Amino acid sequence: MPVPPPSGPVEEEAGGCPWGTLVVGTAGPAFEPRPPTGLSYRPDTVCDGWSTDAVDLRLASVRGYQHRYDGRPREDDAAAGWDECTGTVVFAVADGVSEARQPHIGAQLACRCAVEEMLAQVRAGGGFVTDWRRLLSTVHWQLREQAGRLTRARDADVEETAGLLATTLAAGAATPGPGGVEITLVSVGDSGIWTLGHERLRPLAGGKRAGTDGLVSSAVQSLPYVPDGILPLRRSLAPGTTLLVGTDGFGDAVGDGRGDVARLFASELRRPVPPVRFAHLLDFSRETFDDDRTLVALWPRSEGPRCGR
Amino acid sequence: MTMTDSNRGHVLPIYVLADESGSMTDLIDDLNDGLRSLHRTLLGEPMAAAKVRFSVLGFSDDVVERVHLADLRGTDEFPLLTPRGRTSYLAAFEDLIDRIPADVRSLKAEGYQVHRPAVFLLSDGRPNPDEDWKDAHRRLTDRNTTLAAPNVIACGIVDADARTIDEVATRPEFGFVAEKGADVGAVIAKFCAALTASVIASGRSLDSAHPVLEVEKPEGFTVAIDVI
Repeated sequence: MPVPPPSGPVEEEAGGCPWGTLVVGTAGPAFEPRPPTGLSYRPDTVCDGWSTDAVDLRLASVRGYQHRYDGRPREDDAAAGWDECTGTVVFAVADGVSEARQPHIGAQLACRCAVEEMLAQVRAGGGFVTDWRRLLSTVHWQLREQAGRLTRARDADVEETAGLLATTLAAGAATPGPGGVEITLVSVGDSGIWTLGHERLRPLAGGKRAGTDGLVSSAVQSLPYVPDGILPLRRSLAPGTTLLVGTDGFGDAVGDGRGDVARLFASELRRPVPPVRFAHLLDFSRETFDDDRTLVALWPRSEGPRCGR
Repeated sequence: MTMTDSNRGHVLPIYVLADESGSMTDLIDDLNDGLRSLHRTLLGEPMAAAKVRFSVLGFSDDVVERVHLADLRGTDEFPLLTPRGRTSYLAAFEDLIDRIPADVRSLKAEGYQVHRPAVFLLSDGRPNPDEDWKDAHRRLTDRNTTLAAPNVIACGIVDADARTIDEVATRPEFGFVAEKGADVGAVIAKFCAALTASVIASGRSLDSAHPVLEVEKPEGFTVAIDVI
Protein backbone atom coordinates (compact mmCIF):
# COMPACT_ATOMS: atom_id res chain seq x y z
CA MET A 1 0.00 0.00 0.00
CA PRO A 2 1.51 3.36 -0.98
CA VAL A 3 2.73 5.47 1.89
CA PRO A 4 1.56 9.08 1.90
CA PRO A 5 4.15 11.76 1.24
CA PRO A 6 5.75 13.43 4.26
CA SER A 7 3.04 14.93 6.40
CA GLY A 8 5.59 16.81 8.49
CA PRO A 9 6.81 20.11 7.14
CA VAL A 10 8.99 19.81 4.06
CA GLU A 11 9.78 23.31 2.97
CA GLU A 12 12.20 25.05 0.73
CA GLU A 13 14.04 27.89 2.41
CA ALA A 14 15.48 30.98 0.73
CA GLY A 15 12.19 32.67 -0.05
CA GLY A 16 10.77 30.06 -2.36
CA CYS A 17 13.92 29.82 -4.46
CA PRO A 18 13.71 26.46 -6.23
CA TRP A 19 17.22 25.62 -5.02
CA GLY A 20 16.63 26.66 -1.44
CA THR A 21 17.45 24.11 1.20
CA LEU A 22 14.82 21.43 1.67
CA VAL A 23 13.78 21.33 5.30
CA VAL A 24 12.38 18.22 6.95
CA GLY A 25 10.92 18.81 10.41
CA THR A 26 13.07 21.38 12.21
CA ALA A 27 15.92 22.87 10.18
CA GLY A 28 19.48 22.96 11.44
CA PRO A 29 20.99 26.40 12.03
CA ALA A 30 21.55 28.64 9.03
CA PHE A 31 25.13 29.76 8.32
CA GLU A 32 27.57 30.28 5.49
CA PRO A 33 29.77 27.19 5.01
CA ARG A 34 33.47 27.57 5.78
CA PRO A 35 35.94 26.47 3.11
CA PRO A 36 37.47 23.08 3.85
CA THR A 37 41.01 22.87 5.12
CA GLY A 38 43.49 20.63 3.36
CA LEU A 39 46.10 20.80 0.66
CA SER A 40 44.11 19.36 -2.22
CA TYR A 41 40.85 20.59 -3.73
CA ARG A 42 37.86 18.82 -2.25
CA PRO A 43 34.45 19.93 -3.57
CA ASP A 44 31.58 20.39 -1.15
CA THR A 45 29.19 18.42 -3.33
CA VAL A 46 29.58 15.96 -6.17
CA CYS A 47 26.82 14.45 -8.23
CA ASP A 48 26.65 12.24 -11.28
CA GLY A 49 24.12 10.38 -13.30
CA TRP A 50 23.79 8.37 -16.46
CA SER A 51 21.84 5.53 -18.01
CA THR A 52 22.81 2.26 -19.63
CA ASP A 53 20.36 0.08 -21.54
CA ALA A 54 19.59 -1.71 -18.28
CA VAL A 55 19.70 0.86 -15.46
CA ASP A 56 19.55 4.53 -14.59
CA LEU A 57 22.16 5.57 -12.04
CA ARG A 58 22.27 8.62 -9.81
CA LEU A 59 25.01 9.39 -7.34
CA ALA A 60 25.67 12.23 -4.95
CA SER A 61 27.94 12.99 -2.03
CA VAL A 62 27.37 16.13 0.03
CA ARG A 63 29.42 17.67 2.84
CA GLY A 64 27.62 17.53 6.17
CA TYR A 65 26.46 20.70 7.89
CA GLN A 66 28.83 20.13 10.83
CA HIS A 67 31.82 19.86 8.47
CA ARG A 68 30.65 22.97 6.63
CA TYR A 69 30.41 24.78 9.97
CA ASP A 70 33.83 23.57 11.13
CA GLY A 71 35.59 24.07 7.77
CA ARG A 72 36.40 20.40 7.40
CA PRO A 73 36.35 18.57 4.08
CA ARG A 74 33.68 16.10 3.02
CA GLU A 75 34.82 12.73 4.33
CA ASP A 76 32.32 10.65 2.35
CA ASP A 77 32.84 9.67 -1.26
CA ALA A 78 31.36 7.63 -4.07
CA ALA A 79 32.35 6.29 -7.48
CA ALA A 80 30.70 4.34 -10.27
CA GLY A 81 31.57 2.81 -13.62
CA TRP A 82 30.35 0.31 -16.19
CA ASP A 83 31.51 -2.39 -18.52
CA GLU A 84 30.39 -1.72 -22.05
CA CYS A 85 30.48 -5.36 -23.16
CA THR A 86 28.27 -6.86 -20.48
CA GLY A 87 26.37 -3.75 -19.36
CA THR A 88 27.35 -4.38 -15.75
CA VAL A 89 27.34 -1.25 -13.60
CA VAL A 90 29.60 -1.08 -10.53
CA PHE A 91 29.41 1.42 -7.70
CA ALA A 92 30.91 2.18 -4.30
CA VAL A 93 30.19 4.50 -1.36
CA ALA A 94 32.57 5.17 1.53
CA ASP A 95 32.60 7.13 4.76
CA GLY A 96 36.01 8.14 6.09
CA VAL A 97 36.27 7.68 9.86
CA SER A 98 36.44 11.16 11.39
CA GLU A 99 39.08 10.24 13.95
CA ALA A 100 41.52 9.23 11.20
CA ARG A 101 43.85 12.04 10.11
CA GLN A 102 43.01 11.99 6.38
CA PRO A 103 39.66 10.21 6.19
CA HIS A 104 38.62 11.92 2.96
CA ILE A 105 41.63 10.46 1.18
CA GLY A 106 40.79 7.01 2.56
CA ALA A 107 37.19 7.25 1.36
CA GLN A 108 38.13 8.52 -2.08
CA LEU A 109 40.83 5.91 -2.54
CA ALA A 110 38.59 3.07 -1.36
CA CYS A 111 35.79 4.01 -3.77
CA ARG A 112 37.98 4.46 -6.83
CA CYS A 113 40.08 1.41 -6.11
CA ALA A 114 36.96 -0.72 -5.52
CA VAL A 115 35.39 0.39 -8.79
CA GLU A 116 38.57 -0.36 -10.73
CA GLU A 117 38.94 -3.79 -9.18
CA MET A 118 35.27 -4.64 -9.73
CA LEU A 119 35.48 -3.59 -13.37
CA ALA A 120 38.58 -5.73 -13.86
CA GLN A 121 36.77 -8.73 -12.42
CA VAL A 122 33.61 -8.01 -14.41
CA ARG A 123 35.60 -7.90 -17.65
CA ALA A 124 37.32 -11.17 -16.81
CA GLY A 125 34.23 -12.82 -15.35
CA GLY A 126 31.53 -12.36 -17.92
CA GLY A 127 29.81 -9.49 -16.21
CA PHE A 128 30.17 -10.62 -12.60
CA VAL A 129 32.44 -9.80 -9.71
CA THR A 130 33.80 -13.24 -8.89
CA ASP A 131 36.04 -12.69 -5.86
CA TRP A 132 34.75 -10.26 -3.24
CA ARG A 133 37.47 -11.20 -0.79
CA ARG A 134 40.04 -10.15 -3.35
CA LEU A 135 38.19 -6.86 -3.75
CA LEU A 136 38.50 -6.06 -0.05
CA SER A 137 42.12 -7.21 0.01
CA THR A 138 42.91 -4.93 -2.91
CA VAL A 139 41.38 -1.95 -1.10
CA HIS A 140 43.24 -2.92 2.08
CA TRP A 141 46.60 -2.90 0.32
CA GLN A 142 45.87 0.26 -1.64
CA LEU A 143 45.14 2.02 1.64
CA ARG A 144 48.37 0.72 3.18
CA GLU A 145 50.33 1.75 0.12
CA GLN A 146 48.84 5.23 0.24
CA ALA A 147 49.52 5.48 3.98
CA GLY A 148 53.14 4.59 3.30
CA ARG A 149 53.38 7.36 0.70
CA LEU A 150 51.76 9.93 2.97
CA THR A 151 54.04 9.08 5.90
CA ARG A 152 57.09 8.50 3.70
CA ALA A 153 57.44 5.12 5.36
CA ARG A 154 58.46 2.02 3.48
CA ASP A 155 55.60 -0.03 4.92
CA ALA A 156 52.66 1.33 6.86
CA ASP A 157 51.17 -1.30 9.14
CA VAL A 158 47.45 -1.77 9.62
CA GLU A 159 47.21 0.42 12.73
CA GLU A 160 49.12 3.27 11.11
CA THR A 161 46.94 2.99 8.02
CA ALA A 162 43.75 3.00 10.10
CA GLY A 163 44.94 6.06 12.03
CA LEU A 164 45.47 7.88 8.77
CA LEU A 165 42.88 6.59 6.30
CA ALA A 166 40.22 4.44 8.04
CA THR A 167 37.04 4.24 6.00
CA THR A 168 33.87 2.23 5.58
CA LEU A 169 33.04 0.82 2.15
CA ALA A 170 29.97 -0.57 0.42
CA ALA A 171 30.63 -1.79 -3.10
CA GLY A 172 28.41 -3.57 -5.55
CA ALA A 173 27.67 -4.63 -9.10
CA ALA A 174 24.43 -4.63 -11.09
CA THR A 175 24.48 -7.18 -13.89
CA PRO A 176 21.68 -7.22 -16.46
CA GLY A 177 20.30 -10.60 -17.43
CA PRO A 178 17.25 -12.15 -19.01
CA GLY A 179 15.37 -12.13 -15.70
CA GLY A 180 16.17 -8.56 -14.74
CA VAL A 181 19.10 -6.93 -12.98
CA GLU A 182 21.13 -9.02 -10.53
CA ILE A 183 22.64 -7.03 -7.67
CA THR A 184 25.58 -8.28 -5.61
CA LEU A 185 27.36 -6.19 -2.99
CA VAL A 186 29.50 -6.25 0.11
CA SER A 187 29.80 -3.77 2.95
CA VAL A 188 32.34 -3.09 5.67
CA GLY A 189 30.92 -0.64 8.18
CA ASP A 190 27.53 0.94 8.71
CA SER A 191 26.44 1.96 5.23
CA GLY A 192 22.90 0.90 4.48
CA ILE A 193 21.06 -0.74 1.60
CA TRP A 194 17.39 -0.13 0.85
CA THR A 195 14.87 -0.97 -1.80
CA LEU A 196 12.25 1.49 -2.87
CA GLY A 197 9.02 0.26 -4.38
CA HIS A 198 5.36 1.19 -4.16
CA GLU A 199 6.51 4.51 -2.69
CA ARG A 200 7.95 2.83 0.34
CA LEU A 201 11.56 2.60 1.41
CA ARG A 202 12.51 -0.74 2.97
CA PRO A 203 15.81 -1.41 4.77
CA LEU A 204 17.52 -4.42 3.21
CA ALA A 205 20.82 -4.62 5.05
CA GLY A 206 23.41 -2.62 6.97
CA GLY A 207 22.92 0.63 8.80
CA LYS A 208 22.99 1.17 12.55
CA ARG A 209 20.96 -0.96 14.92
CA ALA A 210 19.90 -0.04 18.44
CA GLY A 211 21.29 -2.32 21.14
CA THR A 212 19.17 -4.47 23.45
CA ASP A 213 18.76 -1.46 25.74
CA GLY A 214 17.44 0.62 22.87
CA LEU A 215 20.48 2.92 22.74
CA VAL A 216 22.25 3.73 19.49
CA SER A 217 26.00 3.59 19.07
CA SER A 218 28.39 4.95 16.48
CA ALA A 219 30.77 1.99 16.79
CA VAL A 220 31.75 0.95 13.30
CA GLN A 221 33.95 -1.51 11.41
CA SER A 222 36.27 0.06 8.91
CA LEU A 223 38.95 -0.73 6.37
CA PRO A 224 41.89 -1.41 6.32
CA TYR A 225 40.61 -4.01 8.80
CA VAL A 226 38.96 -6.75 6.72
CA PRO A 227 36.38 -8.65 8.79
CA ASP A 228 36.18 -12.43 8.61
CA GLY A 229 33.23 -14.06 6.99
CA ILE A 230 32.01 -11.21 4.82
CA LEU A 231 29.29 -12.61 2.56
CA PRO A 232 28.02 -10.72 -0.45
CA LEU A 233 24.34 -9.81 -0.51
CA ARG A 234 22.54 -10.94 -3.68
CA ARG A 235 19.19 -9.67 -4.90
CA SER A 236 17.24 -9.49 -8.12
CA LEU A 237 16.03 -6.00 -8.78
CA ALA A 238 12.50 -6.27 -10.08
CA PRO A 239 11.16 -3.66 -12.48
CA GLY A 240 9.65 -0.83 -10.49
CA THR A 241 12.03 -1.37 -7.60
CA THR A 242 14.89 1.03 -6.92
CA LEU A 243 18.09 0.14 -5.07
CA LEU A 244 19.59 2.71 -2.70
CA VAL A 245 23.03 2.39 -1.13
CA GLY A 246 24.05 5.15 1.27
CA THR A 247 26.40 6.08 4.06
CA ASP A 248 25.19 6.52 7.65
CA GLY A 249 24.66 10.24 7.12
CA PHE A 250 21.71 9.24 4.93
CA GLY A 251 20.86 6.05 6.81
CA ASP A 252 20.62 7.67 10.24
CA ALA A 253 18.12 10.19 8.91
CA VAL A 254 16.10 7.51 7.13
CA GLY A 255 15.99 5.34 10.26
CA ASP A 256 13.54 2.48 10.06
CA GLY A 257 12.13 3.74 6.77
CA ARG A 258 8.92 5.07 8.29
CA GLY A 259 9.80 8.66 9.09
CA ASP A 260 9.51 11.93 7.22
CA VAL A 261 12.93 11.68 5.56
CA ALA A 262 12.19 8.18 4.27
CA ARG A 263 8.84 9.34 2.93
CA LEU A 264 10.47 12.28 1.19
CA PHE A 265 12.88 10.04 -0.70
CA ALA A 266 10.24 7.37 -1.37
CA SER A 267 8.09 10.03 -2.94
CA GLU A 268 10.77 11.90 -4.88
CA LEU A 269 12.72 8.91 -6.19
CA ARG A 270 9.85 6.96 -7.69
CA ARG A 271 11.63 7.58 -10.96
CA PRO A 272 15.05 9.02 -11.81
CA VAL A 273 15.48 12.73 -11.15
CA PRO A 274 18.18 14.92 -12.70
CA PRO A 275 21.54 14.41 -10.97
CA VAL A 276 21.59 17.96 -9.62
CA ARG A 277 18.13 17.48 -8.13
CA PHE A 278 19.34 14.20 -6.62
CA ALA A 279 22.13 16.05 -4.80
CA HIS A 280 19.72 18.82 -3.80
CA LEU A 281 17.39 16.27 -2.19
CA LEU A 282 20.26 14.62 -0.36
CA ASP A 283 21.31 17.99 1.07
CA PHE A 284 18.06 18.39 3.06
CA SER A 285 18.28 20.08 6.45
CA ARG A 286 16.99 18.46 9.64
CA GLU A 287 18.46 19.31 13.02
CA THR A 288 20.93 16.82 14.56
CA PHE A 289 21.41 15.12 11.17
CA ASP A 290 24.53 16.99 10.09
CA ASP A 291 26.90 14.24 8.95
CA ASP A 292 28.21 13.92 5.39
CA ARG A 293 25.71 12.07 3.19
CA THR A 294 26.35 9.89 0.17
CA LEU A 295 23.81 7.97 -1.86
CA VAL A 296 23.77 5.84 -5.01
CA ALA A 297 20.44 4.94 -6.61
CA LEU A 298 19.81 2.41 -9.38
CA TRP A 299 16.55 2.11 -11.29
CA PRO A 300 16.12 -0.88 -13.64
CA ARG A 301 15.16 0.59 -16.97
CA SER A 302 11.71 0.04 -18.32
CA GLU A 303 9.57 1.59 -20.95
CA GLY A 304 8.18 5.05 -20.60
CA PRO A 305 9.49 8.57 -20.67
CA ARG A 306 12.54 9.39 -18.60
CA CYS A 307 13.21 12.58 -16.73
CA GLY A 308 16.09 14.27 -18.53
CA ARG A 309 18.78 16.52 -17.25
CA MET B 1 6.87 15.95 13.31
CA THR B 2 4.28 13.36 12.45
CA MET B 3 3.08 10.94 15.07
CA THR B 4 4.71 8.09 13.16
CA ASP B 5 8.14 9.69 12.89
CA SER B 6 10.33 7.73 15.26
CA ASN B 7 13.45 9.43 14.00
CA ARG B 8 13.44 13.15 14.91
CA GLY B 9 17.12 13.16 15.74
CA HIS B 10 19.95 11.70 17.79
CA VAL B 11 20.53 13.04 21.31
CA LEU B 12 22.98 12.49 24.16
CA PRO B 13 21.59 12.98 27.70
CA ILE B 14 24.19 14.63 29.96
CA TYR B 15 23.79 14.96 33.73
CA VAL B 16 25.88 17.26 35.90
CA LEU B 17 25.71 15.79 39.41
CA ALA B 18 26.96 18.62 41.61
CA ASP B 19 27.82 18.26 45.28
CA GLU B 20 25.72 20.83 47.20
CA SER B 21 26.86 19.74 50.66
CA GLY B 22 27.64 22.46 53.22
CA SER B 23 31.37 22.29 52.56
CA MET B 24 30.72 23.67 49.07
CA THR B 25 29.56 27.03 50.49
CA ASP B 26 32.71 28.90 49.47
CA LEU B 27 32.85 27.21 46.05
CA ILE B 28 29.25 27.26 44.89
CA ASP B 29 29.51 30.67 43.19
CA ASP B 30 32.44 29.43 41.12
CA LEU B 31 30.46 26.36 40.10
CA ASN B 32 27.40 28.42 39.16
CA ASP B 33 29.63 30.77 37.15
CA GLY B 34 31.17 27.79 35.38
CA LEU B 35 27.79 26.36 34.40
CA ARG B 36 26.72 29.77 33.08
CA SER B 37 29.89 29.87 31.02
CA LEU B 38 29.12 26.40 29.66
CA HIS B 39 25.67 27.61 28.66
CA ARG B 40 27.06 30.67 26.85
CA THR B 41 29.65 28.60 25.01
CA LEU B 42 27.12 26.03 23.84
CA LEU B 43 24.91 28.78 22.45
CA GLY B 44 27.80 29.44 20.07
CA GLU B 45 27.85 25.77 19.05
CA PRO B 46 24.26 25.31 17.89
CA MET B 47 24.75 22.01 16.11
CA ALA B 48 26.51 20.35 19.03
CA ALA B 49 23.98 21.84 21.46
CA ALA B 50 21.10 20.42 19.41
CA LYS B 51 22.33 16.90 20.12
CA VAL B 52 22.59 17.29 23.90
CA ARG B 53 19.87 17.20 26.54
CA PHE B 54 21.29 18.71 29.69
CA SER B 55 20.31 18.11 33.30
CA VAL B 56 21.80 19.65 36.44
CA LEU B 57 21.18 17.82 39.72
CA GLY B 58 22.31 19.16 43.06
CA PHE B 59 22.89 16.46 45.66
CA SER B 60 23.47 16.50 49.41
CA ASP B 61 21.13 14.53 51.71
CA ASP B 62 18.83 14.22 48.70
CA VAL B 63 18.75 15.29 45.08
CA VAL B 64 17.25 18.54 43.81
CA GLU B 65 16.62 18.80 40.10
CA ARG B 66 17.88 22.22 38.93
CA VAL B 67 17.67 21.62 35.15
CA HIS B 68 15.90 18.72 33.45
CA LEU B 69 16.72 17.46 29.94
CA ALA B 70 17.14 21.02 28.71
CA ASP B 71 17.82 21.92 25.11
CA LEU B 72 20.30 24.66 26.03
CA ARG B 73 19.51 26.62 22.90
CA GLY B 74 16.12 27.42 24.40
CA THR B 75 17.13 27.85 28.04
CA ASP B 76 17.53 31.34 29.49
CA GLU B 77 19.22 30.89 32.85
CA PHE B 78 20.28 28.00 35.05
CA PRO B 79 18.71 27.91 38.51
CA LEU B 80 21.48 28.33 41.07
CA LEU B 81 23.04 25.47 42.99
CA THR B 82 22.68 26.03 46.75
CA PRO B 83 24.84 24.55 49.52
CA ARG B 84 22.96 22.42 52.04
CA GLY B 85 23.32 19.22 54.11
CA ARG B 86 25.79 16.34 53.83
CA THR B 87 27.28 14.29 51.00
CA SER B 88 25.04 11.34 50.14
CA TYR B 89 26.37 9.49 47.12
CA LEU B 90 23.71 6.89 47.92
CA ALA B 91 20.89 9.41 47.39
CA ALA B 92 22.55 10.63 44.19
CA PHE B 93 22.95 7.19 42.62
CA GLU B 94 19.51 5.96 43.73
CA ASP B 95 18.01 9.03 42.06
CA LEU B 96 19.81 8.31 38.79
CA ILE B 97 18.72 4.63 38.83
CA ASP B 98 15.12 5.82 38.50
CA ARG B 99 15.73 9.01 36.58
CA ILE B 100 17.85 7.86 33.64
CA PRO B 101 15.63 5.03 32.34
CA ALA B 102 12.59 7.31 32.65
CA ASP B 103 14.36 10.10 30.77
CA VAL B 104 15.51 7.76 28.00
CA ARG B 105 12.00 6.36 27.60
CA SER B 106 10.64 9.90 27.47
CA LEU B 107 13.12 10.97 24.77
CA LYS B 108 12.41 7.86 22.71
CA ALA B 109 8.68 8.49 23.05
CA GLU B 110 9.32 11.95 21.60
CA GLY B 111 10.90 10.28 18.57
CA TYR B 112 14.60 10.64 19.39
CA GLN B 113 17.32 8.04 19.00
CA VAL B 114 19.30 8.13 22.25
CA HIS B 115 23.00 7.59 22.89
CA ARG B 116 24.36 6.25 26.17
CA PRO B 117 23.90 8.94 28.84
CA ALA B 118 26.89 10.55 30.55
CA VAL B 119 27.04 11.67 34.18
CA PHE B 120 29.62 14.27 35.28
CA LEU B 121 29.96 14.14 39.08
CA LEU B 122 31.76 16.96 40.90
CA SER B 123 32.41 16.52 44.63
CA ASP B 124 34.59 18.27 47.18
CA GLY B 125 34.40 15.73 49.93
CA ARG B 126 34.02 12.17 51.00
CA PRO B 127 30.66 10.38 50.89
CA ASN B 128 28.76 9.93 54.15
CA PRO B 129 30.61 7.16 56.02
CA ASP B 130 27.43 5.57 57.35
CA GLU B 131 26.04 4.76 53.90
CA ASP B 132 26.72 1.92 51.49
CA TRP B 133 26.67 3.73 48.16
CA LYS B 134 28.63 1.08 46.28
CA ASP B 135 25.71 -1.27 45.69
CA ALA B 136 23.61 1.59 44.29
CA HIS B 137 26.54 2.61 42.08
CA ARG B 138 26.95 -0.97 40.85
CA ARG B 139 23.24 -1.19 39.98
CA LEU B 140 23.32 2.20 38.27
CA THR B 141 26.27 1.32 36.05
CA ASP B 142 25.40 -2.34 35.37
CA ARG B 143 24.08 -2.46 31.81
CA ASN B 144 22.13 -5.66 32.62
CA THR B 145 20.37 -4.00 35.56
CA THR B 146 19.67 -0.39 34.63
CA LEU B 147 18.25 0.54 31.25
CA ALA B 148 20.69 2.94 29.57
CA ALA B 149 23.27 2.59 32.36
CA PRO B 150 25.41 5.73 32.03
CA ASN B 151 29.08 6.42 31.64
CA VAL B 152 30.18 8.22 34.83
CA ILE B 153 32.94 10.82 34.81
CA ALA B 154 34.00 11.80 38.34
CA CYS B 155 35.99 14.87 39.36
CA GLY B 156 37.19 15.34 42.91
CA ILE B 157 38.30 18.64 44.48
CA VAL B 158 39.55 19.74 47.92
CA ASP B 159 39.13 16.73 50.24
CA ALA B 160 37.83 14.26 47.69
CA ASP B 161 39.38 10.83 48.07
CA ALA B 162 41.19 9.64 44.96
CA ARG B 163 40.26 6.00 45.51
CA THR B 164 36.57 6.90 45.86
CA ILE B 165 36.64 9.03 42.70
CA ASP B 166 38.28 6.15 40.86
CA GLU B 167 35.53 3.80 42.07
CA VAL B 168 32.79 6.16 40.98
CA ALA B 169 34.20 6.63 37.46
CA THR B 170 33.14 3.89 35.06
CA ARG B 171 36.55 3.80 33.39
CA PRO B 172 39.97 4.59 34.82
CA GLU B 173 40.40 7.45 32.38
CA PHE B 174 37.07 8.96 33.53
CA GLY B 175 38.26 9.71 37.10
CA PHE B 176 40.04 12.97 37.94
CA VAL B 177 41.20 14.65 41.16
CA ALA B 178 42.49 18.21 41.49
CA GLU B 179 46.15 18.56 42.24
CA LYS B 180 46.93 19.33 45.90
CA GLY B 181 47.27 23.02 46.67
CA ALA B 182 45.46 24.10 43.52
CA ASP B 183 43.33 27.27 43.49
CA VAL B 184 39.91 25.62 43.86
CA GLY B 185 37.99 28.42 42.14
CA ALA B 186 40.29 28.13 39.14
CA VAL B 187 40.01 24.36 39.25
CA ILE B 188 36.20 24.53 39.11
CA ALA B 189 36.41 26.94 36.19
CA LYS B 190 38.68 24.48 34.42
CA PHE B 191 36.34 21.60 35.25
CA CYS B 192 33.50 23.52 33.64
CA ALA B 193 35.66 24.37 30.63
CA ALA B 194 36.57 20.71 30.24
CA LEU B 195 32.92 19.74 30.69
CA THR B 196 32.01 22.20 27.94
CA ALA B 197 34.63 20.78 25.61
CA SER B 198 33.43 17.25 26.38
CA VAL B 199 29.82 18.17 25.71
CA ILE B 200 30.70 19.80 22.38
CA ALA B 201 32.99 16.96 21.32
CA SER B 202 30.45 14.34 22.37
CA GLY B 203 27.67 16.15 20.56
CA ARG B 204 29.76 16.19 17.43
CA SER B 205 30.93 12.62 17.75
CA LEU B 206 27.37 11.36 17.58
CA ASP B 207 27.77 11.62 13.85
CA SER B 208 31.30 10.40 13.59
CA ALA B 209 32.28 6.79 13.31
CA HIS B 210 33.75 6.59 16.78
CA PRO B 211 32.27 4.64 19.67
CA VAL B 212 33.55 6.41 22.76
CA LEU B 213 32.42 9.32 24.87
CA GLU B 214 34.79 12.21 24.40
CA VAL B 215 36.12 13.23 27.80
CA GLU B 216 38.49 16.16 28.06
CA LYS B 217 40.87 15.99 31.01
CA PRO B 218 40.41 19.15 33.06
CA GLU B 219 43.51 21.29 33.29
CA GLY B 220 45.09 20.93 36.72
CA PHE B 221 43.60 17.50 37.27
CA THR B 222 45.34 14.18 37.41
CA VAL B 223 43.73 10.88 36.58
CA ALA B 224 42.48 9.47 39.89
CA ILE B 225 44.33 6.20 39.71
CA ASP B 226 47.69 7.99 39.44
CA VAL B 227 47.52 9.55 42.90
CA ILE B 228 46.28 6.63 44.93
